[in-house]
Amino acid sequence: MKTGHSEHADMLAGPGAGSSLAASVRRCLLGVDGASMFLIQATMAVMVLLVSSQVFSRYLLSESIDWADEGSRLAFVWAIFLAIPHGLKQGVHVGIDVLTNRLSAHWQERLARLMLLISGVLMVVVCYQAVMVSIDTWEELMPTLPVTASVFYFPVMLSCGHALLHLLFMAWQGTDTWREPDNEEELS
Amino acid sequence: MTTLAIGLFLVLALLGMPLAFSLGLAALGGLAYSGIELSVLPQRMMHAVNSFPLMAIPLFMLAGELMVGGQVMQRTIDFANAVVGRVKGGLAHVTLLSGLGLASVTGAAVAGASALGTTMMPAMKKHYDVGFGSAVVASASNLGPIIPPSAAMIVYALMAGSSVSVGGLFMAGVVPGILLVVGMMGLASYIAHRKGYAPTGEPFSWQNLLIQGKRAGAIILMPVVVIGGIVGGVFTATEGAAIAVIYAFIVGKWVTRKLSWSELPGCMFRAALTSAVVGALIAFATPLTFLFTIELLPLRLSEFIQGFTTNPEVFLAMVMVMLLIVGMFLESNAAYIMLVPLFAPIAMAYGIDPLYFGFLFVFNLVIGMMTPPVGVLLFVMCGIAKIPMSRLLHYVWPFIALQYLVLMLCWVFPWLVTALPHALGY
Repeated sequence: MKTGHSEHADMLAGPGAGSSLAASVRRCLLGVDGASMFLIQATMAVMVLLVSSQVFSRYLLSESIDWADEGSRLAFVWAIFLAIPHGLKQGVHVGIDVLTNRLSAHWQERLARLMLLISGVLMVVVCYQAVMVSIDTWEELMPTLPVTASVFYFPVMLSCGHALLHLLFMAWQGTDTWREPDNEEELS
Repeated sequence: MTTLAIGLFLVLALLGMPLAFSLGLAALGGLAYSGIELSVLPQRMMHAVNSFPLMAIPLFMLAGELMVGGQVMQRTIDFANAVVGRVKGGLAHVTLLSGLGLASVTGAAVAGASALGTTMMPAMKKHYDVGFGSAVVASASNLGPIIPPSAAMIVYALMAGSSVSVGGLFMAGVVPGILLVVGMMGLASYIAHRKGYAPTGEPFSWQNLLIQGKRAGAIILMPVVVIGGIVGGVFTATEGAAIAVIYAFIVGKWVTRKLSWSELPGCMFRAALTSAVVGALIAFATPLTFLFTIELLPLRLSEFIQGFTTNPEVFLAMVMVMLLIVGMFLESNAAYIMLVPLFAPIAMAYGIDPLYFGFLFVFNLVIGMMTPPVGVLLFVMCGIAKIPMSRLLHYVWPFIALQYLVLMLCWVFPWLVTALPHALGY
């Protein structure tokens, strides 16, 4: 019978982890995921509060919050882009599997890993370009807030960087590496 | 360049890459081939998501999560049971009415299928064939994108530009949505009668109806406040969605008393995660539609189709047949994002009412969510009910046929779609 500690270690290691290096990388990724999840929850809360405050302010106080629209859009952009890598981890991004389902399990897995690596190329390009655009727009300010306009591009680069880590990890450890109880615990 | 990009997208998508990334790589290939600066990628992606109307999607999703977390569904089900529980196929009717209630808050089919499936399937399994129960839940969930508010309509309106208002599209879905619910209830009764399913609910009594109505009052009022506010011009769809979140939180926290503060982060994360699927598609598809625009693809397609026929009815028939096929193979959000910018302007050129065209477009693809081989609702229900696809398909076909029948009615009698929004000034 396994102890709680060894069960936890197994969960951390996951089904495809064959080395302590994989377990360490998995632990680091879980840390990044946790930080990203916190940011997503915070930006979602900001979005709800800003949009609803705007309505209450308009009707009850007869004045509007100038920066509510821009602030809520900023929070929305952050929430959506930061959630994209989590979608990758959970396997919720939609795809077509009519043809790939006809392959054997072995070739399905090989092909899926190849697709993950090719997707990684996209992430590298978009992340690099987002850094460049952020540098270019650093001097520009948002119209209603004294904050650089490049904060809109930060989540794009963070998202692509985070997604790249997941893509590489899944290409290395297997596409079902996150479909384990630890993942469900995280969601609940 | 367009051919290269479309070809690349098709190859990658058919090899199993997530559609969002296939679109992004197709755009990357097209931009690189054309010598256009790649900085267009993050710029277009960010601007595509940086949209106030689009924000309504995660907010409505969050409202739905809070409703589920606050166990609001049970009161809705109890109320529906008091109304229609005793008739033949009563449990199916309760599911359909609960689906209608959920649809008027979340606006999404898959989220509705998960909520309804986990709540209703245990009871359905006891009294009906599991395939029939699953087909009813899938059909009830498919009301989500038809009954206002609708995430699909928000995406459509965003992709169609200023020609269509979100509120107008919401209202276009009301009459067809009611037709669908009534038709599905009739069909469920017919199947229950033929299969000999016994009535399950308590006998009808006005006293029980009043008690359950009082318990569910705050919940029933929610779509009235939110949709009424949007249609009445009190607030925008996004603001209405934020009000729905606050309302759902208050109901869950202080009316049902089942929602705790500790559940909020999980609800917010799940809402963001579900919305990110649509967000990723929109973000990665936008650079590709930018490529199409600079290649004048919409204009060339418009000229080609208008050269083929000048009859709006023929054009509409072509689009409907195309969507029927596309809906079977492509996820609906991906289809809106890729096809609406191409076809909505052409429909305008033909003089077709944008609300009418928009609704038919959305409805056709919504039905595609229930048709094999890529019917996402079928997969969700097979997972929840733990049944093979063949068993679900056996029972789901009549419900799919009914939806196509209502689509045909809306096509033949446009006033079913347009009368309400036009009467409200859209």
